Amino acid sequence: MSAATLSRTSVFGALFAPARVQATVIQIATVVMFLVACAFIENFASASNISSILYSASTVGIAALGLASVTISGNLFALSLGSTAAFASIVYIAASGWGVLPALAASLALGLVFGLLQGLVVGWLRCNAIISTIAAGSLIAGLATWVSDGRTVLAESGPSWLGSGTLMPGVPWQAVLFLLIVIVGEVLMQRTRAGWELRLRGTNPDAAELAGLRVTRMVVLSYVLAGAGAAIPGALIAAQSGTGNLRVGADLDFSAIAAMLVGGVAIGGGRGRIIDVASGTLFLAVLTNILLVNNFAYEVQLMVKGLAVLLAVMAGALLARKKR
Amino acid sequence: MKTLAENPLLALRWLLLLGMTLIFTAANSYFLAAGNIFALGESFALLGLVALGLALTMLAGEFDLSGGAMVSVAGLIMLKCGADNALLGLLAALAFGGLVGLFNGIVTLKLGVSSLVTTLGVMILLSGFAVWLEGGQAVSFENYDLTDAFNMDWFGILSPRSVITIALFVITGLMLAFTRMGRDIIAVGSHRKAAGMAGADVRGAVVTTFVLSGLFAALAGALLAITLGRASSTFGANLLLQGASAAILGGVALSGGIGRPFGVAIGVLVLAVLNNGLGLIGASSPAILLLNGGVLLIAVLAGGAPGTWLRARLA
Repeated sequence: MSAATLSRTSVFGALFAPARVQATVIQIATVVMFLVACAFIENFASASNISSILYSASTVGIAALGLASVTISGNLFALSLGSTAAFASIVYIAASGWGVLPALAASLALGLVFGLLQGLVVGWLRCNAIISTIAAGSLIAGLATWVSDGRTVLAESGPSWLGSGTLMPGVPWQAVLFLLIVIVGEVLMQRTRAGWELRLRGTNPDAAELAGLRVTRMVVLSYVLAGAGAAIPGALIAAQSGTGNLRVGADLDFSAIAAMLVGGVAIGGGRGRIIDVASGTLFLAVLTNILLVNNFAYEVQLMVKGLAVLLAVMAGALLARKKR
Repeated sequence: MKTLAENPLLALRWLLLLGMTLIFTAANSYFLAAGNIFALGESFALLGLVALGLALTMLAGEFDLSGGAMVSVAGLIMLKCGADNALLGLLAALAFGGLVGLFNGIVTLKLGVSSLVTTLGVMILLSGFAVWLEGGQAVSFENYDLTDAFNMDWFGILSPRSVITIALFVITGLMLAFTRMGRDIIAVGSHRKAAGMAGADVRGAVVTTFVLSGLFAALAGALLAITLGRASSTFGANLLLQGASAAILGGVALSGGIGRPFGVAIGVLVLAVLNNGLGLIGASSPAILLLNGGVLLIAVLAGGAPGTWLRARLA
């Protein structure tokens, strides 16, 4: 099809094609919900509230982005993100005397190494993906407890730009970092050979292997990205709170999975884009914030989040079926 | 050596069980005392029921993430509805578990959504519901007679809970081996399309596994609440991951069709013995986490390329 025939209807068709309809609906719903909340909820659009939405979206979102590479490449999900984030928060605080960027690099290196090890076990040694990451989660938590003696480590220096600095009122640096990772991730996933191979591995593992794609390397890469994606939120939370401990990232695994699934990434692999992960994260962050500013309790927020996951995926499945 | 060559994982879990029993007995002679075997039976009962339900869904090629959260909710329902009449509470908890299982099964089948997704949503929903039911304060049970009855022992080692759990393992094993529904579940998990064409009741089998998984988890939570005389939203916290670990350790394959309740029971026993023994010898919390991870890692490696390599060498 030439560019000239790419009429308005075909753009519409692409956005609402069975494989894209859930992602599109969630993107529209996020924008509508945000605008309605701005109009009707007092102080919702204030700089401090917007930045609190962005803080929570950035940490969960970065973890979900890394996780999405595992999911899209066909290995369902990883359950070691929370303990990786916890260990990274401890490393960040321990290294924070060297400055913000070296400390961030140190926790990132930790995440990369743990991700690489899991990637080798799953990709090279062909072990069960989910159980390998459950085992890794337990081992990483054990190491982190051993290193920190089970205690909370406190930063000696004061708050840094990474923890609480803002580019402009309402836009923390953490959100800028999140945006940068989304853009780089989207380009890598959609426009490079590695991204293409990663997606094809998820669509059909056997065919990808038979076709001579670098399957093992892509699986290892996806876990390296997931490890990095888990370490960064750990560092960000540590930078913001000035503490590192084992409770950092307690809900990270399932929050990241939920955000990714709501956004329209298929759990079975091959389908979904990096921007979908970002929109799913923002959808849940805005929804949770609306409940929060209306003084709904934590348990109500959890129940609504569970319902949102169910409804988004059910609606996606129904709409996709209708179009077929 | 022959078994080891045929199935390294099968031999591995026996080796683990035997080795740990020897080490813990050597370290602390109380390990094999009646009182400790009673305690082992109690942890077997809790983890066992969750793992058995999860294993059934895995056998049919699905996966139920909501079992752990269901334990918390069912315990709270049991005590909230059963304050005056315990039977009513138990029935309410079981009915809730069965209905949630039915929902999981129907949504998964009707919408063609992966059960990982359906049950993840339900899991988050249930954990919120548990905190809401708890209402910020400890929920306790005033029916001391019943609690006492559940804490008595038979022959010094068996508790009512462990007897019920062992019975359910046996019944589920017999159901899978000798009934049409059992054969359908295994066939559906092995190859869904072929099973459907061969006349297996695909929908019935999948929905049945989810309902049983919900019922087993609800029963585990209700019995735990009766035995302890209290309920909390944190009871189910680690049960999902432990149950999945036990099922895999027990030889159940994520791809479906492979694994039996007997193997699951051994997998549960391995984890129960490990954690009981480590507690008994006073292991530190990093050691407990590292050894749990280490045992899982060994199991996962035995199921991957290193296991295949070993099999080829030993054959």
